[in-house]
Amino acid sequence: MIFKIAFRNTFRQKRRTILTGLAMVVGFTLLSLTIGLSDGAYGNIITMFTRNRIGHIQVHRDGYLDKPSLYKTIDDLSAVGEVIQSTAGVEAWTPRAYGAGLGSVGEKSTAIQIIGVDVARETEATRFDQKVVEGNTLAETPSHEAVIGKSLAKIVAATVGSEIVIVSQGADGSIANDVYKIVGIVESDDDATDRIGCYLHIEDAQELLVLNGRVHEIVVIVSNINQVDKITRAIETQLNDPTLDVAPWQVVAKSFYRAMQTDQQGDAISRLVIMLIVAIGVLNTVLMSVLERTREYGVLKAVGTKPMQVFWLVVCEVVIIALASICVGAILGALVNYLLSIYGITYPEEITYGGMKLKTLYAVVNVRCLVIPAITVLVSAAIVSLFPAIKAARIMPAKAMRTH
Amino acid sequence: MEVTNISGSNSENLKTTLESDVIVTEGVTKVYAADGIPVNALNGIDLTIQSGEFTALVGPSGSGKTTFLNIISGLDNPTEGTVWLAGKVLSEMSGNELSDFRRDNIGFIFQAYNLIPVLTVEENVEYIMLLAGVPKAERHTRVIAMLEAVGLTGVANRMPTQLSGGQQQRVAIARAMVSEPAIILADEPTANLDSKTGADLLEMMRRLNEETGMTFIFSTHDPMVMAGATRLITLRDGRIDPDEAR
Repeated sequence: MIFKIAFRNTFRQKRRTILTGLAMVVGFTLLSLTIGLSDGAYGNIITMFTRNRIGHIQVHRDGYLDKPSLYKTIDDLSAVGEVIQSTAGVEAWTPRAYGAGLGSVGEKSTAIQIIGVDVARETEATRFDQKVVEGNTLAETPSHEAVIGKSLAKIVAATVGSEIVIVSQGADGSIANDVYKIVGIVESDDDATDRIGCYLHIEDAQELLVLNGRVHEIVVIVSNINQVDKITRAIETQLNDPTLDVAPWQVVAKSFYRAMQTDQQGDAISRLVIMLIVAIGVLNTVLMSVLERTREYGVLKAVGTKPMQVFWLVVCEVVIIALASICVGAILGALVNYLLSIYGITYPEEITYGGMKLKTLYAVVNVRCLVIPAITVLVSAAIVSLFPAIKAARIMPAKAMRTH
Repeated sequence: MEVTNISGSNSENLKTTLESDVIVTEGVTKVYAADGIPVNALNGIDLTIQSGEFTALVGPSGSGKTTFLNIISGLDNPTEGTVWLAGKVLSEMSGNELSDFRRDNIGFIFQAYNLIPVLTVEENVEYIMLLAGVPKAERHTRVIAMLEAVGLTGVANRMPTQLSGGQQQRVAIARAMVSEPAIILADEPTANLDSKTGADLLEMMRRLNEETGMTFIFSTHDPMVMAGATRLITLRDGRIDPDEAR
């Protein structure tokens, strides 16, 4: 009966109920939108960051991540590769060799990073071929070819067909130098890499740096990003080699991950502010409603309704409005997020996040963008109704019935 | 019916005097603050009402009739003094105990009807039985019988706003009596009724009093109610003056 009274009470002041519900619907939709956009943006950034650059998991010689060195290498690539290949959930993997050097094209020289890649594997793992904006990708066999970053090409005034002389240091302590033909120019959405990156076939790089088949890094791509931790542990267990370090992308790109988490905490604060504004509005209308019905609560108590039942009556009324608002808000929130997941929001100017260029912000429709606003609206509505409900429950019947 | 004015008795004696004493008050005082000025609504009321009485509280407006009814039913607290209701001290009861006690023992008839506007006539009448956990089928049977008794056959599904003032008051009476409480407290029950309806309802209550032994206490200005009462307690300036048996 208490629920029945609460339910019917919601229809007594229709305009006020609609306004209260509308405040909750707007709050729900805004929350859903901020979560949808935030998850969409971060999902996009993480995909770009991992899929195009660092992969989901990386394997290095122990200590390489903290202090990279030419000498910290993975010595038995084929054995490690076999283990990775046999691990469930691994989609692709690719080895890389790194070295620092000086690159010269004609009379112009600059510092470069030599990146030796297994062309076929790198293409499969990080879509390397799709980053080539001019010329061709590297040949699949070692051919003394180089592909350089777009900004690097500008710095040394190189074009496709130019020759680049690379001077570096070999792992045996010798001076390493050789000439490579530039066959392509890449743009990877990562400014820093594009300014210094000089890609060689991995065997050319190993020859230049005198690595004798050794590599510095193995990048692993998994089929489900949510399984990264599990697959990392599986590879680690199967390798069972304390000299090797297996790290998920959150560890590989520590500072990027922390910056992203900080940003997400900022989003949580903005969500809290949205809900506070909505809650204050709802509190106002609920208080007004309790004030208007003081006499009725007095009568209910006079005829034997317990204080706790009066308390639930008020809470129920607010929760009923909240539940109806959640249903409407869920439809609206899902719809808006769905439209934004297709059309997105295009920035007036390209923005850079974590070194990556973003042009359009896309939303995503997921469970979080519906469940979090639903819980937030329901809990804040219930909390907001507590004060008026306690007030109603404590009413002294005789005093309440004197009000008009 | 024996009428006992227990003014001057001590509290222990009051609790043990008579098994049939349903309401006992001792030194009940109520002081209101009206615009910051204290107003003595009741000035030390000592009274005993026995089971089965048909009592009218009379007196001019502001004499303390409604305040007294509120205090003896636990709807309001006295500033001083003690109220025993069926042997229990009201001030010692918790909010829940008071609610249960009112639900099970007291029926209220208010001057302004005070029906729950979002419930139908049937739902209003069955509300107290529902709180008491009476099964649905029994509730329905009793509601229909009670509505028939107050002359409201065929309006069970109407909302209170669809009824006249007299009909609403009859619903309020049906609500008060349907669970057969030991005590009915009625605040000006005939004030908003025409004389015929008032007389019919009074007659019905008188009959219930005689047949079931329910205790009725009215506050009233209505000479018809006064004439039907077996005890007339006059309140003047918050004091009893006089208390007459008939």
